[in-house]
Amino acid sequence: MDAAEFFQYVIAGLKSGSIYALVALGFTMVYGATGIINFAQGEFFMLGGVLAVWFHGLGLPLPVAGIAAVAATALIGIAFERVALRRQRSASPLVLVIITIGGSMVMKSLARHLFGPDELSLPEFTPGPSVDVAGVAVERQALWVWGLTIVAVLLLAWLYRRTKLGRAMRACSISHDAARLMGIDTARVAMVSFGIAAALGALAGFAVTPLTQTSWDAGAAIGVKGFAAAILGGLGNPVATVIGGLVLGLLESLSVAFVSSTYKDVISLVVLLVVLFVRPQGLFGTAQRGKV
Amino acid sequence: MTRAAAALLVAVCLPVVGCSSADTGADEGAEPYRIGAVLSLTGSYAGLGIPEKQAIDLEVARINEAGGINGREIEVIYEDDATDAAKAQAAAVRLIDEEGVLAIIGASGTGHTVAMRSDAERAGVPIVSMAGGSVITDDFSEWVFQTPWPNRIVIPFVLKQMAAAGRTNVALISDTGGYGVDGRDYVLAHAQEAGVTLVADETFNAGDTDMSSQLTKIRAADPDAVLIWAAGKEAAIIARNARQLNMQQPLYGGSGIARQEFIDGAAEAAEGVRLGTGRILVPEAFGEGTEAYAVATDFIARFEAEYGAKPDIFAGHAYDAIGLIADALGRIEGDVTSEALRDALEETDGWVGIDGTFTYSPSDHNGLTEDEMVLYVIEGGTWRLDD
Repeated sequence: MDAAEFFQYVIAGLKSGSIYALVALGFTMVYGATGIINFAQGEFFMLGGVLAVWFHGLGLPLPVAGIAAVAATALIGIAFERVALRRQRSASPLVLVIITIGGSMVMKSLARHLFGPDELSLPEFTPGPSVDVAGVAVERQALWVWGLTIVAVLLLAWLYRRTKLGRAMRACSISHDAARLMGIDTARVAMVSFGIAAALGALAGFAVTPLTQTSWDAGAAIGVKGFAAAILGGLGNPVATVIGGLVLGLLESLSVAFVSSTYKDVISLVVLLVVLFVRPQGLFGTAQRGKV
Repeated sequence: MTRAAAALLVAVCLPVVGCSSADTGADEGAEPYRIGAVLSLTGSYAGLGIPEKQAIDLEVARINEAGGINGREIEVIYEDDATDAAKAQAAAVRLIDEEGVLAIIGASGTGHTVAMRSDAERAGVPIVSMAGGSVITDDFSEWVFQTPWPNRIVIPFVLKQMAAAGRTNVALISDTGGYGVDGRDYVLAHAQEAGVTLVADETFNAGDTDMSSQLTKIRAADPDAVLIWAAGKEAAIIARNARQLNMQQPLYGGSGIARQEFIDGAAEAAEGVRLGTGRILVPEAFGEGTEAYAVATDFIARFEAEYGAKPDIFAGHAYDAIGLIADALGRIEGDVTSEALRDALEETDGWVGIDGTFTYSPSDHNGLTEDEMVLYVIEGGTWRLDD
């Protein structure tokens, strides 16, 4: 294998990896703010894609359709938190997790009936042949995926570090009860977290639809990958989550190169299990977290 | 919001109720022939089940308007299996035990058809499946018939076409679902016979969003052509990834990519992709003036007039399923029972449908041959016969 071929695998891994990272960030945001795993996260990814196709079909230009899809999905995320989860805030985390599974089924069924059973497509943001970097072919759409991922992560970092809301979110992730005692409106933090998580998922769904198409059932598979990435990096820590996503993508791609495509998913799952066994808090997580 | 609410209502009700066909109301006196249909109207095979139901509705209405068969109408009782094998089996039991159907059309999927089999055998009710899995007729049952071309027929045809074009070093990329695994087995079994050498053999899972890694590995093996054995949106991703990696090799596929959604999803990357499947995509392939051409163009025209879109291969499979049953019913002399219908189906000899000219026998319940296959090339966003 020459260097160009090796880097071709790396590029492919980083492309999938940054999608996993965006979806995984959604898991981390919601977990940090509420302590639950939101199994509807994959559906936000799906909604971003199908809504963008729908808005684009109405005649909106592609960037506007994308923004509209992300905004609409964020509203759906907020509505989901308010309607389905908030009333059950005092219930056990298990009940809440099951509500998110139910929510995911409803979103899926609705999407299937509103947008049809078949695959939906979007044009590429900037059509054209791939960019050749020293013999390594890099898709233009992959550049968009990376660009949007970086922008999203930077915005999130700014939000977390520089804003009052971000500080409230961090406080909630350290201790929900202490944050509430300190006068933080934890219900609002939970709602906003759901909105941001939904927007991140939708952004990923919008950015990859030109590459992969989308359909009503696109959410489940990516939800599993995103969850694995979040666990791998360390649930609750945004930076670790992003790294977890990239590592998962690279693992998958390189296992195709060096082992076999048949065992691609098995290898990443085995690595995940080993990490959980040796470091239950994830690769970069901190150990003393009490939530499960 | 009303639309969403309506959709929610439908989503809740569909799996429970199923639906029954509209009564056209002619010939009140005689009991209609009751035929069951188990289709995937929801779930991941809804893209198959919905056109199948449209085609069956269209044909039943036509047959009944023309006075039915032997003066009796056909009534189809639909069940939705929600792309779930267990539900398909339960639906078959209901149709047999509660509705007393003469025969069952279905299911849309291979696993779902196999799940219905033991109950059909128990009750002695023939099944006409619209699923393409080779197992449906390879693993022979005297009660199970099949309308599409299984991989057993399509794969040797495509491999021979590749060899004939001088593309003897072939790379295979297949999915790990039923269609891909079945196809891969046939590729491995028939490659040598067709004069093709397999230089790479890669797989992927349903739901994967990027196959660049597998294609990078295939590119390094330097094949003459790449054979994609997959259905669904992953096939379009492969075509796009191959183009983005600047791979010059022509891509080949089969019935799994004979869908408009593949062309839409792969866009420019679909150009030049070749695929082997039946003739419905370009009816001129039947040969103008032949009976098959007349049958196909008539069906396409009526389908388009009713639904505003051209029928796809799945609608064709369903046309053949209801058509074969209607033909067999018409040939029964004496009492019409499930057993008599099964015998009549097996005696089908040269019935001209969409998927081909069917001749069933006590050892062949698929009834089609490689002669029904044609090679298409995608050009200008549509299919053209390859020359």
